Amino acid sequence: MTMPETTSVVEAGGDATSWRRGLRRVGWRLPARSLPIALSLLNLSLSVSASPLGSGRTEIPLASSHAPAPRSTAHSEVVREYCVWCHNDTMLTGGMSLQSFDVSHPESKAPLAEKMVRKLRAGLMPPKGAFQPEPEQLLGLVEWLEESLDASAVRDPGSRPFQRLNRAEYARLIDEILGLKVDPSEWLPSDQISAGFDNIADVQTMSATLMEAYLTAAGEIARRAIGQEDAPAQARTYTNPPSVSQHEWERVEGAPYGTRGGISVLHTFPADGEYTVSMGFMSGWGERFHDVDVSIDGQRVALLRYGGDIDFQGRKDFPIETEPIFIRAGQRRVSAAFVRQMDGPYEDLIRPNDWSLTGTETSYGTTSPPHMLSLTLEGPYNPVGVSPSATRQRVFTCRPTSADEEVPCARSIVKGLATVAYRRDVEEEEVLDLMDFYRAGAAESGFEAGIRTALEAILSSPHFLFRMEREPQGIQPGQVYPLAGLELASRLSFFLWGSRPDEELLQAAGSGKLNDPAVLEAEARRMLKDPRSESLATRFGSLWLRLQDLERVSPDAFWFPNYSRQLMEAMRRETEIFFDNLVREDRSLLELYGADYTFLNERLARHYGIDGVAGEEFRRIDYPNQQRRGILGHGSILVQTSLGNRTSPVLRGKWVMEVLLGTPPPPPPPGIPDLEETEATQDGEVLTTRRRLELHRKNPSCSSCHNLIDPIGLALDNFSVTGKWRIRENGVALDTRGTFYDGTDIESPADLSRVLLKRPIPLVRQFTENLMAYALGRRVTHLDQPVIRGITKEAAANGYRMSSFILGVVKSEAFGMKRASEPTEDAVSEERSR
Amino acid sequence: MNYVTRKTLPRRSFLRAAGATVALPLLDAMTPALRLYGATKSPDRTRLVCIEEVHGVAGCNEWGASRHLFAPAQVGRDFELAADNVLKPLEPWREHLTIVSNTDVRMAEPFAAPEIGGDHFRSSAVFLTQSHPRQTQGSDIHCGVSLDQLHAQRFGDKTVLPSLQLCIESNDKGGGCDYNYSCSYTDCISWSSPNTPLPMIRNPRAAFDMLFGAGGTPQQRAQRRRTQRSILDWVASEVQEMKKHLGAVDRRRVDHYLENVREIERRIQRVEDRNTSGEPRELPDAPPGVPDSFSDHMKLMFDLQILAFQADMTRVISFKTGRDASNRTFPESGSDRAFHPASHHGGKKKGILEFNKICQFRVGQLAYFLRRLEETSDGDSSLLDQALIIWGSPMGDANLHNHRRCPLVLVGGASGRLPGGRHLRAEEGTPMANVFLTLLHEMGHDDLRSFGDSTGEFSL
Repeated sequence: MTMPETTSVVEAGGDATSWRRGLRRVGWRLPARSLPIALSLLNLSLSVSASPLGSGRTEIPLASSHAPAPRSTAHSEVVREYCVWCHNDTMLTGGMSLQSFDVSHPESKAPLAEKMVRKLRAGLMPPKGAFQPEPEQLLGLVEWLEESLDASAVRDPGSRPFQRLNRAEYARLIDEILGLKVDPSEWLPSDQISAGFDNIADVQTMSATLMEAYLTAAGEIARRAIGQEDAPAQARTYTNPPSVSQHEWERVEGAPYGTRGGISVLHTFPADGEYTVSMGFMSGWGERFHDVDVSIDGQRVALLRYGGDIDFQGRKDFPIETEPIFIRAGQRRVSAAFVRQMDGPYEDLIRPNDWSLTGTETSYGTTSPPHMLSLTLEGPYNPVGVSPSATRQRVFTCRPTSADEEVPCARSIVKGLATVAYRRDVEEEEVLDLMDFYRAGAAESGFEAGIRTALEAILSSPHFLFRMEREPQGIQPGQVYPLAGLELASRLSFFLWGSRPDEELLQAAGSGKLNDPAVLEAEARRMLKDPRSESLATRFGSLWLRLQDLERVSPDAFWFPNYSRQLMEAMRRETEIFFDNLVREDRSLLELYGADYTFLNERLARHYGIDGVAGEEFRRIDYPNQQRRGILGHGSILVQTSLGNRTSPVLRGKWVMEVLLGTPPPPPPPGIPDLEETEATQDGEVLTTRRRLELHRKNPSCSSCHNLIDPIGLALDNFSVTGKWRIRENGVALDTRGTFYDGTDIESPADLSRVLLKRPIPLVRQFTENLMAYALGRRVTHLDQPVIRGITKEAAANGYRMSSFILGVVKSEAFGMKRASEPTEDAVSEERSR
Repeated sequence: MNYVTRKTLPRRSFLRAAGATVALPLLDAMTPALRLYGATKSPDRTRLVCIEEVHGVAGCNEWGASRHLFAPAQVGRDFELAADNVLKPLEPWREHLTIVSNTDVRMAEPFAAPEIGGDHFRSSAVFLTQSHPRQTQGSDIHCGVSLDQLHAQRFGDKTVLPSLQLCIESNDKGGGCDYNYSCSYTDCISWSSPNTPLPMIRNPRAAFDMLFGAGGTPQQRAQRRRTQRSILDWVASEVQEMKKHLGAVDRRRVDHYLENVREIERRIQRVEDRNTSGEPRELPDAPPGVPDSFSDHMKLMFDLQILAFQADMTRVISFKTGRDASNRTFPESGSDRAFHPASHHGGKKKGILEFNKICQFRVGQLAYFLRRLEETSDGDSSLLDQALIIWGSPMGDANLHNHRRCPLVLVGGASGRLPGGRHLRAEEGTPMANVFLTLLHEMGHDDLRSFGDSTGEFSL
C-alpha cells in the first residue's frame, strides 16, 4: 500500500512539530502488518489509537531482577524492530530518526540517546497500540543506553556568565542589610524566566533601564533607611484589587483583629511629622454606614465613619480623610479597615454566605459591603526630626558625640554596611573610596547625610548587585577549574537561602576549608536546618511548580463567588508550607506526588470541605478521605490550570506531563478551534467539559495527543475551577474515567497519584533537573544527564530523601567547578568590527 | 514645600485612576510649568509611538475580512467603518487615520521545521524589526534593530531619554517561553542591536521615576543627580578593576554594563543642560503601581506618554499592549472569553465575532490617547498633529498563526507628512517592512536602503 504522495518540504525537526511532518512524506511504503500503526502515526508523534494488531501494553519493570550482560546487538534489534517503524529517515516521527542510530555507541549521538532515555523511562514509548517488545527488552535497552552514556560522560561542569541580583534576592538582601522590607517591583524591571527560573544567568541582560532602576532603588532605599528630615510632603497611594474579599469574616493580613477588609501596608515614613491618611471606596449595595479603623503598628490613630448616600450602581466613591496625625519616622504597618459589625454564622439570601466583592463590575447579582480600593498616605507636614527606628538603630552602630568622632564612627558604619552588602570582607582601599561619598554627603548636610550617601553608593555598587566569579590567572578557555571558597559559599547560600552567606559560612570559605567535600556537606546540612532554607520552598518550589500562575487565573465571580485573593494566598501558602516541610523533616520527595496529608488553615479547609480546622494558622491535616493526594489535590495547582469559567483537563494534563514528568506534549497546531467553539449543549442537554472535549477531538489528528493529556486532567476533574470537590458539572454527573497512556484505567486523583508513583524515575529526575538549573543558574543540557542520574540513584538508596537530592547537587562538579568561558561567535565578530 | 499648598492637584486624579473610576488626565494642572521645556524648540518634533497588538485582529481572517471587521470595503478617502469594525471607536479621528491593509510580516513565519507552531513566542520581536529571530534560549539571541531604535539612535540625542519602552502584561509566566525561544523575543519589541532587546517597563510608577527622577523637589532631584553622577564615575573605575579577574564572556558583560553606565551619565548631563533653562517646578505625584484593570492601566500609560512628550523627555516610545498566548479576560469588552482561546476561533462566524469584541475593546483604548493628544497643544499645533503612531500586529489571523494581511494603522499627522483620512490597500504580498522603510525615509533616514525584508517603498 502506498501512502498519499505529497512533497517533502521540511528536512529536520523537533518534537513539537513533527506530527505534521508525516503529511509531507514522499511515497512511503509500509509492510502490511504495520499499516494500522503507520496510519495512526502518520501525522502524530504519539499515537494511541487502539489497534487490533497491537500486542497491548507492556510495562518496564523498575529494575531488572538479574542484570543480563548488555548485548548491544540485542538492543539494536529492539530499536530496529520497534522504534524505527516510525522514527526513520522518511517519517521522522517526533522529529527524530533512529535509522542510522548506532545502538552500540549511543554516546556518539548523546542528545538523541538522552531523548530516548527520557521517553522510555516515562513509559511513553513505544506508544499504546504499537507493537511492544518484552518489558525486559525495553528495560535492557534503556539501561544499556544509560550505562553507555554515563560511562562515556564528558566531565563538563558547564559555564555561564555571572549573575545579577534578581528582584527576590534583592529584597532579601535589603532586609538583611537594613532590616527593611521593600518591594523591588517598585523600581526593577521583572526578571526574565528561562527554563522556569528567574535566576538563569545568560538571560539576565544588562540595559540602561535596569542600571537606572538599580540607581533609583539605591537612592530611595538609602533615604528610607536613614530617614529624611527635609522630606517634602508627598502622597503615596496603595491600591486593593477587587478580588480581595472584604467580608465580615475576612480580615486582611496585618490589620487588627476585630476588623474586616481594608488595606494593610508597610510604609516607611521619612520623618517625624504629620501625615494624613485617606481612603477611596467602592460602595456596596444597600449599605448604610461603616466605621473605619485607622491604625499605625496596631495602635488606633483614627476612627472614621464611611457611608450615607450610597449610589446603587455601587460605583460612586466617597473618599474620606483623617485629620493630620503625628507619626514617627521608620517603617511602620499602616492599616485602615472596617470595624467588624457581625459575628458568627448568618444566612442572608440577598448576600449569601461567602460571597465577596469579586467581579462586581461584571457580574450582576453579587452583593457586597463597601470595599476599600485605595489608601493614600500624605506627608510629612511640619516635620520635626527623625526618631530612632529599627533600621536606624541597626545602621548607626555608633554615634559621634564630637566632631572628631565623626569620621572614625562613619568609617566603622560604612565598613560594616559594605561587608554585609558585598558578602565578603572589604578592603581598606574600598572603605576609603566609600568614605569619599560620606564626606561629600556630610559636607552638604551633616553626618547622617554622609552615611546615607555612602549607603547609596554601596547599594549601587557592582560588588553588591553582581555575583562575579573570578577566573584564576592563566586559565585557558575550555579549561575546568574549581571555584574559590567565597564563590562557592555564595553559590551555596543563594541556592539554599536565596540570600547571602552568613559569618560561619564565610569563615569556612575564607579559611579554604569549604572546598573540602566533608566541610561543604556539613555546611550545607547546617544551612538546611536554618529557617532561611524556607527559600527552597518559596523560591525554588514555587517557581518550579509555577505558583505565580495562580495570579493569572481569575475564576468568574458569578460562578465562583467564594473565591478571593485571600483564598488564593492560602492556596499558595499550602503548597509552600508542604514543600518546606518535606525539606525540614527531610522526607521522601515522593510524598509530593502522593502524600495523604497537607497543611491547611480554616479558610482553606472549609473550601476543601474538611472539618475541624479553626483559625488562621496553617497546620498539618491528614486527609479524611481519598479525594486529595499530594500536590495533585492542592488548590494552587488546580486553579492555575483552570480557565476563568471552566476546568481544563487539557491544561491540567499538560501541567502534569510538563512540570512533573518532564515530557511536555507537543503544543496544538494552529487553526484548531478553541473548546468553546464546541457547542455547550446537545439535544437540549448541557454538556460536561469531558463530553465537549470528546466532541472537540473527533478529529483524529487531535485525539492522538489528547488521548495522552486528557485522561490525566480528567482524573482531576472532580476538582472545580477553584479546587473544590464536585461530582457534577453543569448539573450533569461527572464521568472522569480514562486510560493513562500506559494502559492503566484511572478515574480519580488517587488513581493518578498511584499511576505516577508506579514509575518514580521520571519524576525524581525531572525534580533533580529543575533543582540543578536553579542551583546553577543555567539551563541543564544533555551533558548534565549522567550527573542527574547519579544523584537520583543515590537518592533512591536514601529513600528519596530531600537532603539526598540537595546535597547531591551541592556536591556535584557542576556546582563546585566551572569551565572557563569562550567568547561566543557573536562576541568575536562584534569585537572584530570595533 | 510648595506641595502643601496644592492639595487638590493631580493626586486626586491618580486616586481615581487607582480606583474603579476613569483615570483623569494627570497633566492638565501642570501644563504651565512644563511648558518651559517648549522654549528650546527644534524644527521637527515628530513624536513616534509604536504600539503592538499581539493576536492580530478578527478582521484579518477570511470571513472577518469579508465582513470588513478591519479593512474597510472602500479604498481611499471615502472608507466606511462598520459598527463592528475594530477601528470604529477611532471614527472621531478618521481624518488622522491611515489604514494600511494587506501587508505581510513574513519574517515572523517559521523558516525551519522546529519553528513551526512557535509563532506566539517569536512574533513580537519581529513587529518592529521585520527580521527573523534565531531560535534559541541562550545569550546568542539574534533578531534585528527595531524601527524605533533606528530612529532613537539617530535623533534621540535631543531628549533626555532617547526612547522609552512600556508594556502592560507581566512576563513571569511559569516555565518561561516554549519552542526553545528566549522570552526576550516574546517580551521585547524594541531592539537596539540584533542581540540587545530592551526591557519594557510595566509599572507606571517606575516609568514615572525613569522620566522625572525620584525626589520631591527640584533641589532634591538635583542633589540625587549629583550623587548618582559621582557614583557612576566610581562604579566605572571599580568595574575596570574587576574586569581583570574575569573570563571572556563576563568581560563582555561588564563592557555592556559600562556602556549603560555611560548612557546614564549622558542622560544626567542632558537633564542638567536643560535645567539651565529652568526645571519644571511642579510635577504630579508619581502614580501608584500597576492597576488591576486593563483599561485603567492603558490610560495611565497613555497619560505618562503624553507627559513625556509634553516635557520633551523623549520623542520615541514603544508600547506593548499584550503578551502572546495570554489568557487574560476583558469583561468590559462584552466577551467573557480568555484572550488566547478566543483568538483560536476556528474560523467560525460566531467565534470570530466574539474575538472581534475583544479586539475592538483593546483597539478602542487608543481613543483615550488620541483625545488627549488632540487636546494637548504643542507650539502651534496639537500633539496629535505632530505624532506618528504606528499601531499594528505581527500576526494576521491568530487562529491560524499566520502573518499575512496583518493589521496596520498609522495615526497622527507626523508633523504634516501624513495626510490621513485614507485606507490604503497594499498589493498582495507587500511586506509591512515596505511601509516602515517609507516611514523611516519620511522621518529623515534618507540613506536607509532597506529595512527588514523590505522590497521597496510604499506610497503613503
